[in-house]
Amino acid sequence: MRAIAQPLDGGMSSRAGSEQGRLDYYRPFFAALLVFAAYYLGAKIGFALTFRPHPVSVLWPPNSILLAALLLTPVRIWWVLLLAAFPAHLAAQLQSNVPPTMILCWFISNSCEALIGAACVRYLIDGPVRFNRLGNVGIFICFAAFLAPFLSSFVDAAFVTINHWGEDSYWQVWRIRFTSNILAALTLVPLIVTWVADGLAWLGKIRRARFLEAALLLLALLSVNTIVFYKLGTTADSALLYLPLPLLIWAAVRFGSRGASAAICTLTFLAIWSAGHGYGPFSTRSAEENALSIQMFLIVMSVPLLLLAAVIEERSKGALTLHEREERISLAAESGDLAFWTIDFERKEAWMSEKGRAIFNFGSDEPLSRELFLSRVHPEDRKIVDEAIDRARASSQTFELEYRLLRPDGETRWLISRGRYGHNDRGGVRELIGVAIDVTAQVNANLQLRLQREEMARMSRMSSMGELTASLAHELNQPLSAIASNAAAGRRFLAQSSPELKMFDELLADVAADARRAGDIIHGIHDFMRKSEGTRRLVNLNEIILEVLRLLHSDLLGRGTAVETRLGPSLPSVDADPVQLQQVLLNLLMNSLESMQSTPAAKRRILISTDCEADSSVVTSVRDYGGGLPEEDMDKVFTHFYSTKPNGMGMGLTIVRSIIEAHGGKLWAENVDEGARFFFTVPVTRKSETREVA
Amino acid sequence: MSKANKLVCVVDDDQSVRRGLGRLLKSAGYAPETFSSAEDYLAREIFEGSICLVLDVRMPGLKGPGLQEALEKRGACEQIVFLTGHGDVPTATRAMKKGAVDFLTKPFDDEELILAVKRALERAEEQLRRRGERREARRRIEKLTPREFEVFRFVIIGLLNKQIAAELHTAEKTIKVHRGRVMQKLGVTSVPDLVRISQRAGVSPARHAA
Repeated sequence: MRAIAQPLDGGMSSRAGSEQGRLDYYRPFFAALLVFAAYYLGAKIGFALTFRPHPVSVLWPPNSILLAALLLTPVRIWWVLLLAAFPAHLAAQLQSNVPPTMILCWFISNSCEALIGAACVRYLIDGPVRFNRLGNVGIFICFAAFLAPFLSSFVDAAFVTINHWGEDSYWQVWRIRFTSNILAALTLVPLIVTWVADGLAWLGKIRRARFLEAALLLLALLSVNTIVFYKLGTTADSALLYLPLPLLIWAAVRFGSRGASAAICTLTFLAIWSAGHGYGPFSTRSAEENALSIQMFLIVMSVPLLLLAAVIEERSKGALTLHEREERISLAAESGDLAFWTIDFERKEAWMSEKGRAIFNFGSDEPLSRELFLSRVHPEDRKIVDEAIDRARASSQTFELEYRLLRPDGETRWLISRGRYGHNDRGGVRELIGVAIDVTAQVNANLQLRLQREEMARMSRMSSMGELTASLAHELNQPLSAIASNAAAGRRFLAQSSPELKMFDELLADVAADARRAGDIIHGIHDFMRKSEGTRRLVNLNEIILEVLRLLHSDLLGRGTAVETRLGPSLPSVDADPVQLQQVLLNLLMNSLESMQSTPAAKRRILISTDCEADSSVVTSVRDYGGGLPEEDMDKVFTHFYSTKPNGMGMGLTIVRSIIEAHGGKLWAENVDEGARFFFTVPVTRKSETREVA
Repeated sequence: MSKANKLVCVVDDDQSVRRGLGRLLKSAGYAPETFSSAEDYLAREIFEGSICLVLDVRMPGLKGPGLQEALEKRGACEQIVFLTGHGDVPTATRAMKKGAVDFLTKPFDDEELILAVKRALERAEEQLRRRGERREARRRIEKLTPREFEVFRFVIIGLLNKQIAAELHTAEKTIKVHRGRVMQKLGVTSVPDLVRISQRAGVSPARHAA
C-alpha cells in the first residue's frame, strides 16, 4: 500500500505552492520546509522503487517534486527552495553509501533538470501554471517532461562516468535516467500542481454524488490495477494491460486534470511496485528491460490522457464563460430594449434573442428569414433597408440604419440597427451579427416636443386674436351697459309715476349716442385690420391651408376629425396677409370642430376645397358635418355678438368677415346636408385691395 | 331708517355709463352722486352715513381695487359693488375676499344691480351701527382710572373679589369699592353687561396668573 500513500505525500510537498497565494511573511520559510520534507520522502520512495541491482530508480520523484515546487512559487524564492532541497538530498543519499562528490554532482544535475523545466514552462505560459489548457499541457510535456530530462541527463551521465560510479556505460546511464525522469515528471508534477495549486477549498464545494463517483472510480482503479499487475501473473495476455484505460478516460472526462493525474499516479505506483516485487507482466525479463518497458507503457498512457483532460477542462470552462457572457448580454438586451441577432450564411440559419423577437413580434420558434424580417419593416422603409443590407454585404463593412417597423399588431416602432459581417477562414462572408435598439420611446418624445412647439405657435396666434376680442369686448361693453341702464331706468320711471318728458328726452338721446358709439367701435375693427396691410405679399391659399392644418393637427387628432382637402391645382397667388388668412381659416376650422361636438365620431369630417373663380378670385370653402346654422338666423351669423356657442363671444366670424372684406373678398355661409359650408373669396388682382366698407 | 342717512356713489370713467347708472339708481329711489375717477371720490368730504360705491374695475389712474384698498386704510365703511367690462376671475376673487358686496359684469341686469346696491347699503348700515356701539363703549371705558380698568379686566373673566385682590396684592374690600365704581361709570348693573361692553370695545380680558 505504499504506492497509494505516495501521491498524498507528493501533495503535501507542494503545499508550499498553495501557501504562495497568501502574502505571508513566513511563506518562503514554510515552502522551504515543505520542499525539504517532500524531497527527502521522494528520495526514499525513489530508492524503494529501484529495481535491484539497477542503480537508477524506475521513477525518481525528488526532481519532479522540486520542479513542481518551482512551478508553483515565485522565481525570487527559488534559491530558498533549492537550498532547502540540498540538505534533504544529502540526508537521503548519505544513507546509501554514495561518495559525497557523487551526491553533490547528482544534486547539481537534478537541480539543473528542475530549473530548466520550470524556467521554460514559466517563460512560455502566461499567468499561473495550470493543467486546464491544452497549450499549457503541451508546453509542459515538451519542455518540463522531455527537454529538461533530456538535457540534464547528459550532465548526470557525465558526472556518473567521471566519478566511476557503477558499471554502466555513459549512454546506458543517460537512457535510464532520461526515461525514469520523464515518467516522474509526467506522473508527479501534474498531480502536485493540480491538487495543490488552488488550495483545498474546492473540496468543500463538491457535491456528495461527485464524492461517491470519485470513490467508486478509485475503487475500480485499484481493483483493476491490482488484478492486471499483481494477480494475473506473468503469463497473462498483454492486451489485458489496456484494462485500466477506460477507467483512466473516465477519470479524465469526469474529473478533468485532477482526476487524470491522480488516476495516472495510482496506475504508475501499482504497476511499478508490482513489477519491482516480481509480479505482473513487467517482471519477466531483466530488471533494466522491465524498467524500460514499464516506463514506456506508463509514458504512452500518460501523455494522451493529460492532453485529453486539458481539452475537456478547456471546453467546459469555455462553455461556462460563454454561458456567463450570454447571461450578461441578455440582461443588457432586456434592460436596453436591445435585439441581438445573427445570420449564418454558411449554415443558412438566423437567430434572434427573445427580446428581439418580442420587438419584431416574431413567434419564439418562428424560423427567421430575410423575407420575414423585411415583412416587418415599414413599407416605406423596406426598400432602403433591403438595399442597405446588400450594400453592407458587398462592402463587408459595419452598417448602421434607422428604420421603422410596422408590426402585424399595427404598432409602429422605431429601430436603430447596427451590424457587422463576420468572415470565414477563406475571407468570405460567414455571418452577419447585429443589434437592433428600439428607440420608439425617444422618437415619440421628440415627436411630442415638436407637437408642443407647434401647439405653442398656434396658441400665440390664437391669443393675439383673443386679445383683440377681449379689448373689443371691453370697448363695446361701455356703451352697451349705458344703453341697458338707460333703458331699464326709463322703464322704471314709466312704471312709477308721470314721467318727466325732459328727462326722457335726455335719456333717449344718450341711448342713441351710445348706440352710435358702439357702431364706431365696430368700424374701428376694420381700421385695425387695415393696419397690418404692410405684411401683405403674394401667397398661395393652398399652402396656407396646409400650414393651418399642420397647426391644427393635434386638435384634429384629439377630436377624431378627418380632414379632406380638394385643393385646386395651379391656383393663382393672391396678395394677402398670410397671418390674417391663417386666422380666418383657424377660426372657420375651430367653428367647424366645435359644431361637430355632438356628431358621432365616425361622421366627423371637414372638407376644405379651393378653386379659382373666373381668374379673378380664389374661392375657399370649409364644410363640416355639424348641426348646421339656424335657418332663421342665417344672416345674423356674421353680426356682432351673435353666437350659438354657450361661451362664445360672437366675435369670431365678425373678425373673419372684417379680414376678408379688408382683403376685398366676400364671406358667406350656407346650410348643406348634415352640416354647414362657409365660403370666402380673395381676389387675385391687386386693385381689389382698395378699401371696402362692410 | 331715512334715506338721508344713505348715499350711493358711482365711480366710472365712462360718461355714458355714469349717466346711465345714475338714471337707473334714481329710478330705484336713490339720489346717486357720480364721480369720473377714484381720485375725485377720495376728494369728496367723508360722509358719515352708510355708503354704497358702484365702482368700475378698469379706470385710468387709480383703479377700482386700488380705491378699495385706499378706503380700507382710511377706515371708512363704504360697501362696494364692482362693475367690470370683462369678467376676469382673479380680480373678482381678490375683490370679493377683501369684502366687496358683489362683482357684476357689464352689461349687467338692472334688477341685479339694484339688489346689490340694496344689500350693500344694509351692510354699511349694520357696520355703522356696530361702530357706533364700539365708540360708545370705548367712551365709557375711557372714564375708568387705570386701577379700575385693571379690576374691570379681571371681573370680565369671572374672578371673584377675593381672587382679584390676590392677583393685585390688595385687600378684598378695596376691590369691592373699585368694582362698584366700574359698574357705575359704565352704567351697567350686572357682570354679563360688563362682558358685553368689553367685547364691543374690544378690551382684552386679563390673564389669570393662577
